[in-house]
Amino acid sequence: MIEVSNLNKTYENGYEALKNVNFSVEKGELVCLLGPSGCGKSTLLNIISGLLDATSGDVKFEGKSVLDVAPENRDIGFVFQNYALFPHMTAEENVMFPLTVGKNKKSKAEAREIAQKYMELTHITDIAKKKPGQLSGGQQQRVAIARALVQQPKVLLMDEPLSNLDARLRLQIREEIRALVKEVGITTIFVTHDQEEALSIGDRIILLNNGVVQQADKGQNLYLDPANQFVANFIGNPVIDLFDVQFDGNQFNNEHFNLLAERLADNKLKQKLPAGDYVIGIRPENLQPSTAEMADFTIKVDDIELIGRERILKFYFGDMQYRSLVDIEDQIGAGNEINLRFDMKKAFIFNKDGERVY
Amino acid sequence: MKNKRRKNQWSAWWFLGPALLGIILFSVFPILRALVMSFQSGSLISMHWTGLSNYKYVIQDPYFAKALQNTALYAFTVVPIGMVISIAIAWNLFNRIKHSKFFEALFFMPYVTSTIAIGIVFRYIFNGQYGLLNYILRFFHLGTPNWLDNPSMNMITVIIFGVWLSLAFNIVILMSALRGIDPQHYTIAKMYGASDSEMFFRITLPQLIPTLAFLLTVNLISAFKVYTSIYALFNGQPGIAGSAMTAVYYIFNKFQTVGTPGVAMAATVLLFLIILVVSFLQNKLLNKVGRR
Repeated sequence: MIEVSNLNKTYENGYEALKNVNFSVEKGELVCLLGPSGCGKSTLLNIISGLLDATSGDVKFEGKSVLDVAPENRDIGFVFQNYALFPHMTAEENVMFPLTVGKNKKSKAEAREIAQKYMELTHITDIAKKKPGQLSGGQQQRVAIARALVQQPKVLLMDEPLSNLDARLRLQIREEIRALVKEVGITTIFVTHDQEEALSIGDRIILLNNGVVQQADKGQNLYLDPANQFVANFIGNPVIDLFDVQFDGNQFNNEHFNLLAERLADNKLKQKLPAGDYVIGIRPENLQPSTAEMADFTIKVDDIELIGRERILKFYFGDMQYRSLVDIEDQIGAGNEINLRFDMKKAFIFNKDGERVY
Repeated sequence: MKNKRRKNQWSAWWFLGPALLGIILFSVFPILRALVMSFQSGSLISMHWTGLSNYKYVIQDPYFAKALQNTALYAFTVVPIGMVISIAIAWNLFNRIKHSKFFEALFFMPYVTSTIAIGIVFRYIFNGQYGLLNYILRFFHLGTPNWLDNPSMNMITVIIFGVWLSLAFNIVILMSALRGIDPQHYTIAKMYGASDSEMFFRITLPQLIPTLAFLLTVNLISAFKVYTSIYALFNGQPGIAGSAMTAVYYIFNKFQTVGTPGVAMAATVLLFLIILVVSFLQNKLLNKVGRR
């Protein structure tokens, strides 16, 4: 449905916002563009919508390039971060607006009927006569989505649509958005900087950093099989533990532990590792307390954080903090000395350029 | 609690005092004094009561009727025409002109210049024989009216001048109102295929209503008080043979030239009431439009 190929964007001041971006979105798919602030995700969305011109590369909808098509003819619905509802119109008038302007103007009765349908879909019929100023953030959000859908566009673009809502509402609305988008069957690109949001809402996630696509895959794969150190570090809460190590051809060494290379799963190893500096990444749930004989190293627990049904044991090597995730029933307390063991089958190894080698 | 609030109120008077004193001395007192004088006759140093005779005189005076007629004509043409032109200029400056700040400053200059000085310049522009306006009209073969010396043209001249004068303030206020509209509204509207005129009438204009209400009220009130521009255009005369006589000019004339302050004050009170009623009605109307 949407194909982005070799897309580059360099701003007039020389800033390269996008570097050779490639990805495609299937019809009816809900894809999240995820990345830290300034990674280029909004730039990308604006180029797809036509609000911004690309420097080079192409964007195709259904096989046809849309770069020369004006935004109003691209058949897209857009939801802005701050909704941009018209303050002088009621919710209903806002939803009807796209149907009452431009070439595809409908009769008032017809427009009202279509608006009604989408307002039912987004559960805002009871606030139809209220103006945006009288609506809560969540209600405004729904009005903005209904307005984006009434023209029955092929593509729905959402630019951080949840970031103005409070935490609890955000959870609720993101489920609603997913259900709605799937019900309508519209191809959707959803921009967010919140990995949790992206993991929960997206069929697939395109993770961007510094204008480069780091990985485009299902959320689960981003977590379990990260393409590089950035992805491993960005995805996952609590964040992954990263240890600097030296490899001597036989074992990975650092001042706190030595790990034998034979503990690695051979089939995961992408190439035979030359000796040198590496980074071992391990998810906190794969760094578990163990018996003294099995232990890779011993630490003193500095602090404990409870998250839902799990506890995070925090400890320090120098001033770097590391984490181990244990079950809530575990009785280890702050100040305790414990032994930890790596589950090397599930660890990742990155070279000094951040590329994944294991 | 109650005591504390009362104490606060007392200290508030200290803050209000200086301003209140000024208002009472220069606004409230003159209004009351005018009201009192409108029931009196004689010269300023020896006034005596005459009841309603000043009002009777003013109401029956054909010059006052003429003055009111001219004033109403002026107000109800200059205000709407000036407003439409101001909106058109502001919208174009905002939308299409690159260095709009420069032009905005340019358009604002008349507001900070003395009306008398501008009036003198306009006397040259309007001059029948060598005026710039007639030079241009002659160039396009459009006829050359005698703007200043023909009594039947005098009100038109005053109205043209009035429209021009009203632009400066209106444009600056409208520009700031236009800047206050979220640019994303236009992005969104454009994405839905709205044309330029649809964007203006559906998005811009409705959001300008509060500003327009303010400007219309201020413009209307100042139009009813028109005086200086006539004084400047006609060299201190209310047009040729009094053809551009307006209400305030009538008042000034009765007060200063004829020397009947009582009559002048009666006319003042009547004008005050008219302005009050007209701006009240206008506000009601605009509220209705704004709420729609």
